[in-house]
Amino acid sequence: MTSISNTQKQPVLKLINVCKRFGGVVAANEISFELYAGEIFGLIGPNGSGKTTLINLITGIYSVDSGSIVLDGKNIVRMPIHNRARVGIVRTFQHPRLLGRCDIRANISLGKDLADKRKIPDTDKYQERMGVLLEAAGLTNVDLSDSIEKLSYGQQKMLEIVRALLSKPKVLLLDEPAAGLNRKEMSYIINLIDFAVKEDICVLLIEHAMDLVMSICQRLTVLNFGQQIASGIPSEIQENPAVIKAYLGGSRNAEN
Amino acid sequence: MKQLNYKFVIKYILPGLFLAFCLAIPGFTSGYMLRVLNIALITYLCVLSLYVILGMCGQNSFAQAGLWGVGAYMAANFVMKMGAPPLAALLLSSLGTAVFAFVLGFAFFRLRQYYFTFASVGLMAILNGLFMNWNEVTGGALGITNIPSFSIGGAIIKSEPGNFYVIFFICLAAFFLMKVLFNSALGRSFMAIRDNEIAANCLGVNSLLTKSIAFGISGALCGAAGALYAFLAGYLSYQTFTFQQSTMYLIMIMLGGTMSPSGALIGTLIISLLQEWVRPLQNYMQFIYGAGIMILMIVQPEGIFGGGKAIYDKYLKHSKTARTEAD
Ligand SMILES: Nc1ncnc2c1ncn2[C@@H]1O[C@H](COP(=O)(O)OP(=O)(O)OP(=O)(O)O)[C@@H](O)[C@H]1O
Ligand SMILES: [Mg+2]
Repeated sequence: MTSISNTQKQPVLKLINVCKRFGGVVAANEISFELYAGEIFGLIGPNGSGKTTLINLITGIYSVDSGSIVLDGKNIVRMPIHNRARVGIVRTFQHPRLLGRCDIRANISLGKDLADKRKIPDTDKYQERMGVLLEAAGLTNVDLSDSIEKLSYGQQKMLEIVRALLSKPKVLLLDEPAAGLNRKEMSYIINLIDFAVKEDICVLLIEHAMDLVMSICQRLTVLNFGQQIASGIPSEIQENPAVIKAYLGGSRNAEN
Repeated sequence: MKQLNYKFVIKYILPGLFLAFCLAIPGFTSGYMLRVLNIALITYLCVLSLYVILGMCGQNSFAQAGLWGVGAYMAANFVMKMGAPPLAALLLSSLGTAVFAFVLGFAFFRLRQYYFTFASVGLMAILNGLFMNWNEVTGGALGITNIPSFSIGGAIIKSEPGNFYVIFFICLAAFFLMKVLFNSALGRSFMAIRDNEIAANCLGVNSLLTKSIAFGISGALCGAAGALYAFLAGYLSYQTFTFQQSTMYLIMIMLGGTMSPSGALIGTLIISLLQEWVRPLQNYMQFIYGAGIMILMIVQPEGIFGGGKAIYDKYLKHSKTARTEAD
């Protein structure tokens, strides 16, 4: 950050004209944006606007109909899911997907396993890193040998992010991490996102909680019916009439 | 302090006593009963192979008795046609069956979901057909007779107790290897696939390769079991390695619980011994198993060991924490 100016900085992840349709539904229409290291990029839009679909396209769960997804200058659209994880794209799910029949420790260890597969060298610092992450996530008091059923919904979401961060990713894709969480739990989510930013990870944040998005994202893009209807910094987005019409008005109603 | 004692007893004292009891078995057991136990322990290796592929990796296979046969015929051929020492034949059959299963896994696991199960039914049928008809290798319908006994170095192990210790040691080693596997990154990748395949992929787990490795490891266990069986029985017939036998393995692991090597052991022992003790009721056994499994799946789907573990977790593991929380 010291010597390199913003204009010289290369994006870590770049989407170029990404399209995806399901039958008659256009879930992603010519989507383009760039993510930079250490940046929090917001992705918002009403229900069914195509946010999760984009994460599924980036992680390879769905294949693109057309367009490119470029990580560090390399087009990855043909790469299988597991290899995309190994080059550093990790995600959480809208509903947490943990190993239901394994204990908490095994769940967390999968993040370390991915770090090993990614050939991340400082695995000796793993314990320390895990301690810091569990602390940030408010999970210090859980018994790691318990099954994940003992965790609350919020704790499960936190655990999923901890697991993702243990793999030392380049890109972290968060699908509505704060949905269904209380204030206290929301603060843990913010801790974890801070942790990611400090490690220069780029964070793509899908979130309906507007106050959270507007306060922590540097830039964001708004989807509606698979279209990017606006992109920019939070203050611009908040005043954009198309956005207010498509989304912000609706969400205010939904929150009541 | 009290909960520590419970833990200690359940984790170390009981298994220790069980081990000591097992080692003493040949001292007070008749030759016939020991043979039954030896077969049961060989069966345990096959049921343990289901623990890997089904319990850990979530892929149901009806082909394990076929893999058992592959190991058995391999061992017989290595020893009788190539003059390999039995110990080498045992290792080679185990390895060979592992490679065989791994390669087939690569073809089968291109199929997602339960299609692997269908493929395994087909594999079982084909293997049984091969055992019956491939005269040069399996002796066809006549089978292979006069397979030499197991030996280590120059020492031939012919007696039933001798075989018991050999087989018991291998089972013990397999049991602990499974524990190691469970705590390894590879084991976790199996379980990740079992619990949520897409999430596993998103954590860098390669489905095709990982499932094939799981099937390969299950092959290694069945292969070793097959070789041990060949040396113990001295005679191989295609009628041993059947679909029915594969189903029996599944019943055993369902009964004991798919989630642990101990569950697999409990299921194997109960059914193997039951088969002996209620021989007069042979004709009704299918009904008993069928009804028993159905009731068990409704009452306790995790099997006997799973049920025991649930009780332990609920009442003993957190007896101390529960108290402090209540304060
Ligand atoms: N696998 C699929 N098959 C068919 N249609 C799909 C599939 N996945 C998503 N869609 C459709 O694509 C559109 C976008 O869905 P998506 O889940 O991406 O929305 P979202 O923005 O994440 O919504 P939410 O806020 O409710 O999570 C919806 O119309 C949805 O029905
Ligand atoms: Mg969504």
